[in-house]
Amino acid sequence: MKREAFFERVRQAARAGQAHRAHVRTGLPDSVGYVGGGADLCCRLAEEVVGVGGTAVVVESLEAARVALAELLDNLQPTSALCWRHPLLEQLELTELLAAHNVEPFDFERLAGLEASARRRAILAAGIGITSVAAAIAETGTLVMAAEPGRERVASLLPPVHVAIVAESQILPDLFDLFASLDHANSSVGRVKQRADAPTVETSVAGVSSASLRWPLARDADRGDQRTELPSNLVLITGPSKTGDIELQLTTGVHGPGKVLVLVIRGR
Amino acid sequence: MKSNDYQRHEHHAFLDASALALSDNGLQQILGRLGDTLGARNRAAFGEFTESDLTRERARAVKDDTLAHLDEHLATLADNFERLGGHVHFCSDGDEARQAILGILAKHGARRVVKSKSMTTEEIHLNEALAQASVEAVETDFGEYIIQVAGHRPSHIVGPALHLSAADVAEVLSPVAGRPLSSDRTELAAFAREKLRQEFARADAGITGVNFAVAETGTLVIVSNEGNARLTTALPPLHIAIMGMEKVIPRLADVPVFLKVLARAATGQKLSVYTSLITGPAREGELDGPRESHLVILDNGRSRILGGPLRESLFCIRCGACLNACPIYRSVGGHSYGGVYAGPIGAVLTPLYDGLAANKHLPHASSLCGACQAACPVKIAIPEMLVKLREQLHEQPGELGRVEAWAYKAWARLMRSPRLFNLATWLSTRLLGRFVPNGWLRRLPGGLRGWTDTRDFPAPAPERFRDWWRREGQA
Repeated sequence: MKREAFFERVRQAARAGQAHRAHVRTGLPDSVGYVGGGADLCCRLAEEVVGVGGTAVVVESLEAARVALAELLDNLQPTSALCWRHPLLEQLELTELLAAHNVEPFDFERLAGLEASARRRAILAAGIGITSVAAAIAETGTLVMAAEPGRERVASLLPPVHVAIVAESQILPDLFDLFASLDHANSSVGRVKQRADAPTVETSVAGVSSASLRWPLARDADRGDQRTELPSNLVLITGPSKTGDIELQLTTGVHGPGKVLVLVIRGR
Repeated sequence: MKSNDYQRHEHHAFLDASALALSDNGLQQILGRLGDTLGARNRAAFGEFTESDLTRERARAVKDDTLAHLDEHLATLADNFERLGGHVHFCSDGDEARQAILGILAKHGARRVVKSKSMTTEEIHLNEALAQASVEAVETDFGEYIIQVAGHRPSHIVGPALHLSAADVAEVLSPVAGRPLSSDRTELAAFAREKLRQEFARADAGITGVNFAVAETGTLVIVSNEGNARLTTALPPLHIAIMGMEKVIPRLADVPVFLKVLARAATGQKLSVYTSLITGPAREGELDGPRESHLVILDNGRSRILGGPLRESLFCIRCGACLNACPIYRSVGGHSYGGVYAGPIGAVLTPLYDGLAANKHLPHASSLCGACQAACPVKIAIPEMLVKLREQLHEQPGELGRVEAWAYKAWARLMRSPRLFNLATWLSTRLLGRFVPNGWLRRLPGGLRGWTDTRDFPAPAPERFRDWWRREGQA
């Protein structure tokens, strides 16, 4: 009853407001504001990550990525790590790498086995978070994380250092491409049209589905239902945690990780 | 530290509060930097964005279209949010919203709450209600945390503690730390990180605002730069989000347009550091995230605005760009505006939400220069709305004195008649313009003295432009 009254009031107001519609430009295409990521998405992603205060390395092979990650662990010497369960991390043999560096890994199996308070202590104490991504956006230097069992929200959030391993095939040119791929998975709305000036690399708009098929962003919520749902939590991360709250001066690492390191693997 | 109590809770008349702010040297120094920092970053970010103008137009068109069918979009949003297992509460005013939130917390026996920056919770004075119900609520946005400890009101939409220097912040936080903190920003931020981590870890519930709510998917979009909104929605078992009902947008495809203009307008970033898209509570098997989600959708006067001539004020996405651009805000600061929302948009919203008569100075706290509209990511015609509010104000009986009412009438008559206007300008140049040394009047007589109390009045030129043009312009 209360809800009906609420809706009735809004309905009447919306109708009365028709007399006060604003002057707007109509008929602008959905793709207005599309920028794109240039010809080399790996380099562009790395440049933009550095531009927003992160660190990024582009490597040419899995082997080179493993070496870079080993170096990183040597430098940082964390005692424990929060890790995603992800095919790319398995290919990197992350578990073995962590063991070789005496880093205690807290992945899904390990965390799920802990009782709640012990789990809380473990996630709060971790010195590093190691994840892959659901996608990355070259134009803005953005990492996209999609929550699911094995890909915890906290891995990219609680530790002071977040390391993300990104394969070239996961990189999208523009923010618009990400939402087009979500829409595609959600299949109810039209997609961003291919722009004449957009680069014709494999991962630009037309190639979005390849990334989303490989690591689906949206999953079937209910097998009987045709609909697919977005993940319960999808977060776009653009650089290390920042605040300008004291005298408008930039300070990093106030809540989220103060260091964001991105390893981009070309050709994968 | 400053003892100026305009920073605290009570509502101050604009004139008194702005006079205090103008005599506060520390505040003036901070406000003086605003245009060169946030303001300049905003302009640069839009300058580098090729289709910035069209993108803003697009965002604007989406807002206008959404509001035209707001009831339908809200119904879709509620259906989808509930389908995902969330609970939706429609609240007509602040009291209903406070009761709804207190009810949810009571049902869960929640005593400790972490809050992520939300102007809407400020609007309904939630913190006071929580305190009365013995619920301990901690603000987790660094700026909000500082002013919560200090007992101040926010002075800027995106930088609530903007009015405090680093030394002030150190003074505010040292008693909490139990040791003297230096005014080093990194040390202060590190203290807040550590202190607030404990609060996050033990909180029973997280309360956040909402930047955008996507109707077709039931998704809440929450933007932050620090990461506190993520922590608030990752660690506590219960999430309560509150949104003004105008925050709904129909489609997922509309989100990137708004994210692109919001980040640029607010802080000059291409994208804010963290954008969370939250679609329902945590799913089965997930180890973190809230197990229960509530969405409070607030009217609180918005439907009244929606059906009226100031409907466009509901386009506002709370970026703060108009504050940084405004020469008045940059002189008098946020607390002078009295309400929750400061600056040009506050001068529109506060009279609309809290009453025009009680805030009669706000529509006049503008030079109508248009910098706010130029900076706005959805191009809200703020100057036009301020003029409309002035008109409404002057239509209220008893609002104007007899002399002032007569003066406005005479002025209107003068401006409508070319012959009278011609005569009046001729008289003013002959009578005033030619006898005033150096072009400034130091003191005006009678009721006009208020103007010259704090500044000189520019005298009319000795010669009218039309006379000059007749003589020189045609050569």
